[in-house]
Amino acid sequence: MNTRFGAAAGPFLIWVVAMVLILVAWQLLVWATGLPPYVIPPPALAFSTLLDNWPRLSVLTGQTLYETAIGYLLGAVIGFLLALAMGQIRVVQRLVMPALIISQAVPIVAIAAPLVIIFGFGITPKLIIVAWIVFFPVVVNVLDGLASVDRDMLNLARLMGGGSLRTFAIVKLPACIGPLFSGLKIGATYAVTGAVIGEWTASSKQGLGTYLLTANAQMNTAGVYAAMLLLTVIGVGSFLLVFGLEVLMTPWRSRSTAPAWAQWKPSQPAS
Amino acid sequence: MPDPRQPPSEPLPMQSASTKLSIGDLNVRFGSVVALKDVSLDIADGEFVCILGASGCGKSTLFNVVSGLLKATSGKIVLDGQDVSNRPGQVGYMLQKDLMLPWRTVLGNITLAASLTRGATAKDRDEAAELASRYGLGDFLNHYPHALSGGMRQRVAMMRTIAAGRQVMLLDEPFGALDAQTRLGMQQWLLQLWRDLKRTILFVTHDVDEAIYLADRIVVMTPRPGRIADILTVDLPRPRPLEVLTTDTFVGLKRQIMQHLYH
Ligand SMILES: Nc1ncnc2c1ncn2[C@@H]1O[C@H](COP(=O)(O)OP(=O)(O)O)[C@@H](O)[C@H]1O
Ligand SMILES: [Mg+2]
Repeated sequence: MNTRFGAAAGPFLIWVVAMVLILVAWQLLVWATGLPPYVIPPPALAFSTLLDNWPRLSVLTGQTLYETAIGYLLGAVIGFLLALAMGQIRVVQRLVMPALIISQAVPIVAIAAPLVIIFGFGITPKLIIVAWIVFFPVVVNVLDGLASVDRDMLNLARLMGGGSLRTFAIVKLPACIGPLFSGLKIGATYAVTGAVIGEWTASSKQGLGTYLLTANAQMNTAGVYAAMLLLTVIGVGSFLLVFGLEVLMTPWRSRSTAPAWAQWKPSQPAS
Repeated sequence: MPDPRQPPSEPLPMQSASTKLSIGDLNVRFGSVVALKDVSLDIADGEFVCILGASGCGKSTLFNVVSGLLKATSGKIVLDGQDVSNRPGQVGYMLQKDLMLPWRTVLGNITLAASLTRGATAKDRDEAAELASRYGLGDFLNHYPHALSGGMRQRVAMMRTIAAGRQVMLLDEPFGALDAQTRLGMQQWLLQLWRDLKRTILFVTHDVDEAIYLADRIVVMTPRPGRIADILTVDLPRPRPLEVLTTDTFVGLKRQIMQHLYH
């Protein structure tokens, strides 16, 4: 039987092809328009700028990656726990849901300014902005997962004498894992955007976002493109990482039998 | 394929034998709908009773009350002399849907009751594996449910109900969704299980042939309001080869039941 590990190789290959196509289109655009490198730098120039400035860019990438990762984890954990609380206690859901929707309706850039006033120019406002973006899809999807648990399944658990904690761990929680990852994948592509917005509005420390602004002001277009490339790599990398984790953590979606470590083997050799 | 194995000879359980489960004068109303009216039934220890009736005549409602999931408007359920009305968990109940947990393997689903109550031990898993292997699931213990056929999933659901350890099992149309051939195989499989394990079985079906082939007694129900129209004893020797499906006794019973269902 074809597993999703096998099926996943297809999308990965398509990714490579897609990236090559983008580079080709980019190069063709440069040739076709005949625009100078300070308007559209050719891919080769962007890459060489990236390599030439690598010692500095790598530090900036590290900083942005750090903000993205920590903010992402923060948003994911808060979102997951909040969804569990909302799913278990109706009152919490009634009270919190409108606030959540309002929180996402406020433009994220508008939130950045008051955050800086409250928290200063440290890392805190940046983490909050990233987490703010990430937690919403997580909450919505996990809530859906909890609501999708079959009532009869819960009845069956009750008939089998299941306590509420064990029923939660065995029946409800695993039903959220798939939806959780749907939320986490959406969050993974948005998180880096959050980090850049954070750096633009609330930064004392340099990251790829601030570098991008400075390079732009100095008409260093190749530098802008180099930063863009690195930001894209962070975004795509996060997504693929989360996707890989999903495949590992939901083996029942991709396989017909349990992975070797989870398989039952007789505890004594059969007589 | 008639089962060639000869079972130990055992007497036909009769109503006079020790009563295992007693359903006393149940009435269930949903608003103005009378789902069950004056339903009384005594079931002997080790008996196989089929509840037969068209859809909507209250068969699932009856099981929901007996299992303790649903509170009856009036009446009581007595198990082994104890009033167990509204006390879930006293009998095994296999619901109409197979309700597999997709993230658990076949073995994980079979040991669900242990996991839910105290955590499944290596011993629980070994015993469940032994049971499942004996009844044709040996090659699928580490499979996820989505990789199984409908018939296999029903077997797993049945094994799970058995592994929960209750002496009385309620089976709500377990083979309803299967094709005719698979269904016949499953019926024989279930009879073998029942003979080996000596449990008391209440089996809901709307299939007349299935009821006669399986049951010691058939409880015929009619709808609006849901009530017992007749109780028939099936005087067919066990084990029952497929040939019984065409005997005079079988056809006579079928005719009798049809008159109730399509009067
Ligand atoms: N929870 C409920 N609320 C209202 N009506 C119900 C409920 N459960 C069952 N009924 C009604 O009771 C009758 C018997 O239903 P059910 O026991 O499911 O029948 P069966 O299993 O024989 O098909 C039907 O008319 C059904 O619509
Ligand atoms: Mg029903």
